[in-house]
Amino acid sequence: MVEEPEQSILIKEGLFTYPGSPGEGPRLLGNRCSGCQAYFFPKRYLCAKCHKNGTMEEVRLSNQGKLYTYCIVRVAPEGFTAPYALGYVDLPEGPRIFSAITGIELSDLQIGMELELVIEPVRKDLEGHDILGYKFRPTGGSSNA
Amino acid sequence: MRDVYIIGVGMTPFGKFPEKSILELGREACWEAIEDANIPHLTIEAAYCGHARTGRLLGRECGVGQSILWELGISGIPISSVGNFCASGSTAFRDAWLAVASGLYDLVLAIGVEQLTARATKGKPLTSDGVELLTAMGFSPPTYFAQIAMRHMYDFGTTPEQLAMVAVKNRKNACYNPRAQYRKKVSIEEVLNAPVIVDPLTLLSCCPTGDGAAAAILTSKEMATKYSSKHITVAASVLRSGEYKQGREITSLDATIKAAQEAYERAGVGPEDIDVAEVHDCFTPAEILHYEDLGFCSKGEGGSFIAEGHSQIGGKVAVNTSGGLLAKGHPLGATGIAQIAEIVWQLREQAGERQVAGARIGLTHCAGGFQESLELAEVSSVTVNILKKR
Repeated sequence: MVEEPEQSILIKEGLFTYPGSPGEGPRLLGNRCSGCQAYFFPKRYLCAKCHKNGTMEEVRLSNQGKLYTYCIVRVAPEGFTAPYALGYVDLPEGPRIFSAITGIELSDLQIGMELELVIEPVRKDLEGHDILGYKFRPTGGSSNA
Repeated sequence: MRDVYIIGVGMTPFGKFPEKSILELGREACWEAIEDANIPHLTIEAAYCGHARTGRLLGRECGVGQSILWELGISGIPISSVGNFCASGSTAFRDAWLAVASGLYDLVLAIGVEQLTARATKGKPLTSDGVELLTAMGFSPPTYFAQIAMRHMYDFGTTPEQLAMVAVKNRKNACYNPRAQYRKKVSIEEVLNAPVIVDPLTLLSCCPTGDGAAAAILTSKEMATKYSSKHITVAASVLRSGEYKQGREITSLDATIKAAQEAYERAGVGPEDIDVAEVHDCFTPAEILHYEDLGFCSKGEGGSFIAEGHSQIGGKVAVNTSGGLLAKGHPLGATGIAQIAEIVWQLREQAGERQVAGARIGLTHCAGGFQESLELAEVSSVTVNILKKR
């Protein structure tokens, strides 16, 4: 179930395109330095590699990645319901990014698996509204092959 | 820069003491250090007080040091509070070291203190300070260390049993530490079968929250010889913050590697010279990593290092003879200076049944905080200190 865009609460503005453009789907928003070609997520003020001023350009990052490591949370902090999976996903552009992992039996998680980006509720706010954020799930949909 | 010596240490028991205020805890540790140093307390010239969470949790952001010392009748001198997450106490120690090494002061007090059990969110896992977006997405310190463990097992074949050995060793050591929070042995099976917090970490793989304080008195050579016959040399006191670097692996804390390299260089020793070490075992995989990053063994060999008994008392380097964060406890700001106290007791041969025979050179290591980043998280601060027997 997807809410109307005007009623959606995003976990943070400017992290991803939502909703995705027709035929494209959502993308993470990062930047690339026009000076040294480094990519960053989320967007930064200044290139952390070459420190040149005014070189940061907004880019849409790949929506595909590979699982570098993960964990399964069984005792949840405030606001979350266990069990859920967290991991780091390697994007082809370079950033190794933090993400919840969804759409998979937790026991099927494997380092190295191919993942794709989705926008989904990450948690609920105090009034019970969904807060949308990005997650990754196995490529090809939420069910196992 | 002058040589700096520790002439007194003090430490409260660590545990859950909701009825003891942060000021009482601090006062107790300071007074023990002052008596241990055998100095008239009004000769202290400056003080640095480390605490990590007091401001947000108990309503006094600054001035904890001033309040503790006010109770002891010490005032007027320069006093500042130092915050650096779990490395707050050791950063306060380094500030005290720098104050004496620079020649500015001759006698300085370093305090580390934390009161966590009186907090409003008691009972829930402690979330990390200042990483709000990450926390809003489900991050907490055990999730990071669990991910380190998963990758370390994948890259190097480290086993859950080897991770559990860290808890078993530190619990055993704590049986001989009258100040430790948990003083009952546990077995590998008990660690593995305890309730899972974040796979592969169980309740017994994680350090507890608690309350406590520790203090150290640092001084110059002239004053050390005047007051003490058991002074300990601070051979190195190093602080680094985590560095942003894309492409780094989660299975190392680069800041530990660099801080240790600098400390070894300054102290004129190598990792093979360290007899006893207090390292930051916030979670069992952390200690495995620290063996590697501190140079006690090669990358990937941390699991074998503990399995072969090399970090036991009597092994190549006795790690966490106090029980470490896991068993001694981890009142955040107090830890850095409690580690110093343990090494001082070891080097003075005052460690009782957990004494490392012939200990001459010791090391302390603390790591704290995370940088807010959606790329691979980096720690905010790491400290490494090397102490030598006079």
